[in-house]
Amino acid sequence: MAASTLEAAPVFHYQIAGDRAGAWPRILSSAGLVRGAGGVTVVTGSAGAQDSDAWVARAKAGAVLILDGDSPAAETFGFVPDRMRRHLPVRSIVDSHNPKLSIVWERTVEVPAHKLPDKAIVFARERWDGAPLMAGLKQGAGAVLWLAVSPGEKGHERFPYVMQALADLGARPGLQSRELWAFFDASYRSRVDLDYFAARWRRSGIAALHVAAWHFFEADPQKDEYLKKLIEACHRQAIQVYAWLEFPHVSERFWNEHPEWREKTAIGQDAHLDWRRLMNLREPDCAREVTAGTARLFERFDWDGINLAELYFESLEGMANPARFTPMNDVTRREFSAAHGFDPKALFPGGARAGDAAAQRIFLDWRAGLTQRLQEDWIAEMERIRTRRPYLGLVLTHVDDRYDTRMRDLIGADAGRVLPLLAKHDFTFLIEDPATIWHLGPERYPEIARRYEPLTKRADKLAIDINIVERYQDVYPTKQQTGTELFQLVNLASRAFARVALYFENSILNPDVPLLAASAAAPDRVEISGRRVVVESARSLGVPSANPVSVNGKAWPFWDGATVWLPAGAHVLEPVAAPTAVRLVDFNGRLRTLEALGNGFEFSYVSDARAWASFDVLPARVEVDEQPVSVSLRVSLPRGQHLVRVMAQTKAKAD
Amino acid sequence: MRAVGFAFLCAVSLAAQTADPAYAFLSKAYERARALDYEAAIEGFGKAAETSPLRADIRKNLAYTLLKVGETEAARDQFAEAMRLDPSDRHVALEFAFLANETGQQRVARLVFDRVRTSNADAQVRATAEQAFQNVDRPLAEGITRWQQAVAGDPSNFSAQEELSRLAERRNDWALAALHFEAAWRIRPAERHLLYDLGRAWSEIGRAEASLSALLAASRGAEPRTAEAARSLLPDRYPYVYEFRAAIALDPPNIELRRELAYLLLEMGERQQAESEFSQIAKDAPQDMLSLVQLAFLMMKRGEIAAARPLLDKVLANGGVDEELLDRVRSALQMPKALRRREEEPKQKDAAVEARELAEKSYQAGYLKDALKYLTIVHESDPLDYPVMLKLGHASNMLKLDREAMDWFKMARYSPDPSVAGEAHRAYRNLEPQFQRFRTTTWMMPFYSSRWRNGFTYGQVKTEIKAQRSVRPYLSMRFVGDARGSTNQPYAQYLSETAFILGAGIATPVYKGLMGWAEAGAAISYLKRADQTGRARPDTRGGFSYSHARGHFLGAERPGLFYENHEDGVFVSRFNNTLLFYTQNKIGYSRGSAQFYWNANLTTDAKRRYWANFIETGPGMRFRWASLPPAMAISLDLVRGFYTINEGNPRRPNYFDVRAGLWYAFTR
Repeated sequence: MAASTLEAAPVFHYQIAGDRAGAWPRILSSAGLVRGAGGVTVVTGSAGAQDSDAWVARAKAGAVLILDGDSPAAETFGFVPDRMRRHLPVRSIVDSHNPKLSIVWERTVEVPAHKLPDKAIVFARERWDGAPLMAGLKQGAGAVLWLAVSPGEKGHERFPYVMQALADLGARPGLQSRELWAFFDASYRSRVDLDYFAARWRRSGIAALHVAAWHFFEADPQKDEYLKKLIEACHRQAIQVYAWLEFPHVSERFWNEHPEWREKTAIGQDAHLDWRRLMNLREPDCAREVTAGTARLFERFDWDGINLAELYFESLEGMANPARFTPMNDVTRREFSAAHGFDPKALFPGGARAGDAAAQRIFLDWRAGLTQRLQEDWIAEMERIRTRRPYLGLVLTHVDDRYDTRMRDLIGADAGRVLPLLAKHDFTFLIEDPATIWHLGPERYPEIARRYEPLTKRADKLAIDINIVERYQDVYPTKQQTGTELFQLVNLASRAFARVALYFENSILNPDVPLLAASAAAPDRVEISGRRVVVESARSLGVPSANPVSVNGKAWPFWDGATVWLPAGAHVLEPVAAPTAVRLVDFNGRLRTLEALGNGFEFSYVSDARAWASFDVLPARVEVDEQPVSVSLRVSLPRGQHLVRVMAQTKAKAD
Repeated sequence: MRAVGFAFLCAVSLAAQTADPAYAFLSKAYERARALDYEAAIEGFGKAAETSPLRADIRKNLAYTLLKVGETEAARDQFAEAMRLDPSDRHVALEFAFLANETGQQRVARLVFDRVRTSNADAQVRATAEQAFQNVDRPLAEGITRWQQAVAGDPSNFSAQEELSRLAERRNDWALAALHFEAAWRIRPAERHLLYDLGRAWSEIGRAEASLSALLAASRGAEPRTAEAARSLLPDRYPYVYEFRAAIALDPPNIELRRELAYLLLEMGERQQAESEFSQIAKDAPQDMLSLVQLAFLMMKRGEIAAARPLLDKVLANGGVDEELLDRVRSALQMPKALRRREEEPKQKDAAVEARELAEKSYQAGYLKDALKYLTIVHESDPLDYPVMLKLGHASNMLKLDREAMDWFKMARYSPDPSVAGEAHRAYRNLEPQFQRFRTTTWMMPFYSSRWRNGFTYGQVKTEIKAQRSVRPYLSMRFVGDARGSTNQPYAQYLSETAFILGAGIATPVYKGLMGWAEAGAAISYLKRADQTGRARPDTRGGFSYSHARGHFLGAERPGLFYENHEDGVFVSRFNNTLLFYTQNKIGYSRGSAQFYWNANLTTDAKRRYWANFIETGPGMRFRWASLPPAMAISLDLVRGFYTINEGNPRRPNYFDVRAGLWYAFTR
């Protein structure tokens, strides 16, 4: 097994030679590599001055070396400072992995000009001068990645595509995870081949797609056909499909057909804010119509779950910007006036209570309470839908207000009030980090997790949503997270939360897609000893293997022909001669245990929504909690925690 | 019969393939697309498009396949190309516009929909375009109205101003966009991307100068991303002083902009104006130590040492300043302060030793800035260390700090060590000419030609007046002659004029190897003229010259390849007002003091005379030895020549020529 793994040349380890590790451990671990011998070697500081011929020999023997800056070792490989040229002030670079992407460094760095060996592959150049800044060189069985300057303190502030460059040179990270969620908006994918995309999503580690359901709120033959095809394609690839709702935005058509139910801002305008057209869900007729429409949505399509997202008010500027402040519809104003004796509109410029801090506090607290009531009402409504479709998963996407504590006053979001609902309802609380902190580093995710810890005992129900979008802040080196920065975000978030969601699948840039599953892997230990591979991880993992394997000494039936999939824990993998009679080739629930039986296997799992399992051959029998279910190559399994037994056909029958 | 039919089909097929260079790629691409192997299909269509770049149908197929794999922007760009190739195809225009809308190019999409809906396309296409146009335009119009109301109610609402400007841009209403970009920027001047947007908007409405000011200000701001974006829209040339001033008028608190103007003025020798700008920065941003130092230096140059000293003391006291800057300040204060302070430090000697080691390492490794810093520290600790002064000179020279380099070489000339003094003297002499008011360059090239069995010499003495202008005047005396001439019968091919040519002219500075020149004067023959006219004749000439060389030159430390290219265009009145063009190329290998190369030369003229139109090619070598004066080299070439015009040529159309010559040049 180990031999076959190594022959396929995936990389599990990195090591630092020398005394100046810098940000390299952060960069390399972001793609699931762990510290250990072999794999990628970063030659730093004093090590770069040591016997250069030895480095050449190591590269030729198969090592992948990273050299940053000038050193005798770099010169030996032909990366030589050009002493005839001035140092070059570098602030903007172009990377061959995404040449149109604007990559700008926050601080200008004076970089010596270099001459490169003839066969060097230049990955990154200075934007205006074209001077090479990152290049690779294949050397025998190995390679060298050279950077003109260090990658910076955080590891992502200068060269976003270091991991991609390593992969180009043959050092592709080996471990992967397939537990990511991703948001999906059909308007960006209206003409794609859905089967092609479903396979691509699965390869990049996606287990569930949260599909913007407002585009399908009203029946439309053409659109409905598209969505049905999308759901089928996803199910074929063991990807769950959630209906993502953005109330009080209902749909564009709903907005156009019901101007009388539109939400209002504090300056009295209809609340069409950015792309969202907000409706007044406190208006009983409106709420009734939305409820009915939602029920129809679940009748028309074979959803696996519901995501009730961002159900609160606008905007991130709070009361400071009346033109964006909601709710200010008549129903809300009347309710508040009845309770507190004044019209909340009076709190804004020109009103009788403008600048009255005490009155503002009363209103903002009331507004946060109103948000909670709305959320409870709609969770209850979703539970009603679930009574007829118990397999549906439920997700509440809610902005973080623990890290950025202003959210309660700005948009009425109060996680502290919602989280206790986890005791009464089975849902996943998906924390969205607010736009105001998108510029902060990936370390914010462990910190967010720490702050939610005291609020609930159900840490297994907490998920984090990473917004991969252009940030409005002054951020560097890229406006949108990509490359190392994205991998660091995904990796640290995967270690801190039970589930990681990405907003959204269309915004993930192409160079990142092949390494996304690796960045979601969070191994604690990988050891290779002869034919054995020892893997330990708090999350499930995929380990590349071209051969069937035994795990902890027993035959292991979860192998898709290229990767062995493991549950959380410590495992010893060894190659075996033959696979089991029937194999699990894909599964999107959380595997807890798996055991080969005489002529089949048994596994236990937990899943937030209906799970999908695929087999290599048609089993003879499948039982869930000892009850037989209908048999096919792909079966759906119930939400929750269950035990599944799969029995193979007898030899003669299978033939 | 069947065989004949088959052969015919093969022939037709072959003919079709021969006629359509994209055929092979296309058939493979279609096959892969049918097999749902989109990546391979895209590659095939891409190659087909490269092979037949004018075929819109290939672009369309490529675009549709790109759509399958979600490459919407790439598909949009292919439709754009197809639209360019076939403007009459309205379907392609619609496809492009829909994708432009989807990929954030709403403004462009709206314009294309508008064009198609008002075109003479068929009714269905126009109806689709009309619907799409309204779908884009209506929300924009409604949004603009809504945010205009919000702005009318509260003009200081930043988010409303910005929203309005963005909607206006998408609706192609640049005047409205400019108005609100400016308003938003005035509310929050720190949001520098709005200044960039304002520059774009002003450009669109024809306010070119205002646009340049906004972009220039944005390009020198605190936000690197905005600065880079603005830089990409600025002209390639460096801005003029008046443009800096206009940008500062638009964005007065922009310290970087004003500082750069001050440096520019310094470069131009406008010290008074530069000082005024630095003074302004010192008032507006007293924490800007860089400007404070420059201001103090300028004041010291004017003799206001007492007034400058507090500024430099302030810089020294400021802990957050770059060490290099502090070193310069200490140097300006002529060290007593630094030296005294260091004497009080017990580890001073160790520090100097360490600095010397670091200086040596940095110098050897080519880290010249570091070398300069450490050498300066060493110099501070031992101001009479002449080898250090020499190294400071070399380091400064390599960093293009030639004036500083000259100062160091000048001091090192007084070293008691003759080798140091001699080297410093030579280096000083080499640098000195560029800082002199007059520069005299002398060059000569005598050579022997086997073909003509004659010796020729070209030479020139030229004295140039250095000026801070785009052209420099000069006086010149050329010599062009040959050894065998007894009467004035020019060897036209070598332009042997048997004359001294005295002239006055102007020349541009050399920019990236290119220069222009023109001169007028008289050619005075040293021989009796064949036509019995006077020996002096008016002579005007001018042209351009371009030289470019790469690789390892003669005398390079390491052997390697080299390449030289010289392009000349010369107008010479004396040869019947002709215009001659030369291209001379050498490619070869340098090793030590020798070069072996291959010549490839072409000469042609505007009047198409046989003697001025020929090609020469052949091997050659060039060498020198150490005892020769610098810039002297000996060359030996064996060329085969071919006349490209033979009309009127009294000689053979091709020839061999062995040339042995000498090149020597020096500047004083």
